[in-house]
Amino acid sequence: MMRSTSALRALPRTAQLVNTARAFSASASTSFASPSDAPTPAAGSKPPAVKEFKIYRWNPDTPTEKPELKSYKVDLNQCGPMMLDALIKIKNEMDPTLTFRRSCREGICGSCAMNIDGVNTLACLCRIEKDTAKTTKVYPLPHMYVVKDLVPDLTLFYKQYKSIEPYLKNDNPPEREFYQSQEDRKKLDGMYECILCACCSTSCPSYWWNQDQYLGPAVLMQAYRWIADSRDGYTEDRKDRLQNNMSLYRCHTIMNCSRTCPKGLSPGRAIAELKLEMATGVKAKAMNP
Amino acid sequence: MSFLRTAPAFRAGLGMRTIHTSRVAAVQASKQVRAIAADETAGFKYTAENAILKGTVNDAVAVPTPNKAHGSYHWAFERLVSAAIIPATVAAAVASPTAHPIMDGVLGVTILIHSHIGFSACIDDYVDERKFGALGTACRWLLRVGTAGALVGIYEFNTNDIGLTELCEKVWKA
Repeated sequence: MMRSTSALRALPRTAQLVNTARAFSASASTSFASPSDAPTPAAGSKPPAVKEFKIYRWNPDTPTEKPELKSYKVDLNQCGPMMLDALIKIKNEMDPTLTFRRSCREGICGSCAMNIDGVNTLACLCRIEKDTAKTTKVYPLPHMYVVKDLVPDLTLFYKQYKSIEPYLKNDNPPEREFYQSQEDRKKLDGMYECILCACCSTSCPSYWWNQDQYLGPAVLMQAYRWIADSRDGYTEDRKDRLQNNMSLYRCHTIMNCSRTCPKGLSPGRAIAELKLEMATGVKAKAMNP
Repeated sequence: MSFLRTAPAFRAGLGMRTIHTSRVAAVQASKQVRAIAADETAGFKYTAENAILKGTVNDAVAVPTPNKAHGSYHWAFERLVSAAIIPATVAAAVASPTAHPIMDGVLGVTILIHSHIGFSACIDDYVDERKFGALGTACRWLLRVGTAGALVGIYEFNTNDIGLTELCEKVWKA
């Protein structure tokens, strides 16, 4: 700030006043993240804990080269606690060509979905295994076309999501607010929170083998989210769209979806409720009563 | 105000990012080694005909024609048959098998329907005609012939021989 204050001396007095006001209201420059060469305080006191990460690499620019697992060694004492921190550190400091999606780093955008140590999860919500003797393997979401490295092609997933018409459809909406009882609202709990990260769908063997026809747990849970909505006027039409042997009924209750969901939701249960409602017309009770 | 915002002195204070240290020589690191057309991969040329995804990225996937016989009715029937096996087994075991061959036959046929549905699901999952063509069709016919053969077998075994339940009782005691 030395240079900025010396520059201020040359300014007219009114400008100085304005700038002083800004200096108090704006964020202090120290609160911005800034790269630093200085080692973090922990580095002096703790011995380095170097862990090996093996990361799936494939470059579309060289399509004839086979995908490989590339090894990176990261000192965990110089790295944040989450897998996404390690990936960002690797990309920043070791290999800028490493490609992955990330955005919010707090489990709400669903961008960093990937397969870490054999489990589909969000890198930002997945803690790094502290045991440095074990290597951690990172792959893209399984059985999807790969765009590059850890980036899967989710085009089909989004096209399927579009096919269930994920929006309120009602021909006679009320003049004002659309009221809903607390019980009816509760039916949507456990479903509306889905962030469409595709962890569940890509963990489902049925989706691996038949994803061209089977909609998969994430999309089916959203289909049911709109079927269960008391305000929607197209419930029967929505159910009819699933009346075939592929869209819904390739679910064999394997339950990988509920096991892997990084948001703790249960698509498997939603699909079970959906099947029951389709067969008997019985409306489900709230998912989390 | 605008003068202040663009003043270099003020900019330098913002985060102190005059020299960027965290990225090491990232310039052109991901530059293409050799040029490849956007629609080509490893000698495979993408066209509208061989495209894996039909339509544009903004088109939803096609919705199949509704058919409850392949949908909810099939699912409900499958569950009912599975559930029916339990009382059928109990009834056949309690009643004298030789005196009530019909009971024995009902159990046999229920199990047969159950396994036929199960194997059809396997074909749907793993060797569907959509992907495997003639192999899928062959599997479907193999299953139909097998089921028909088993149906004849159940009839013969229950009318001219000891029957399913008694066989199980004998094996159990042996």
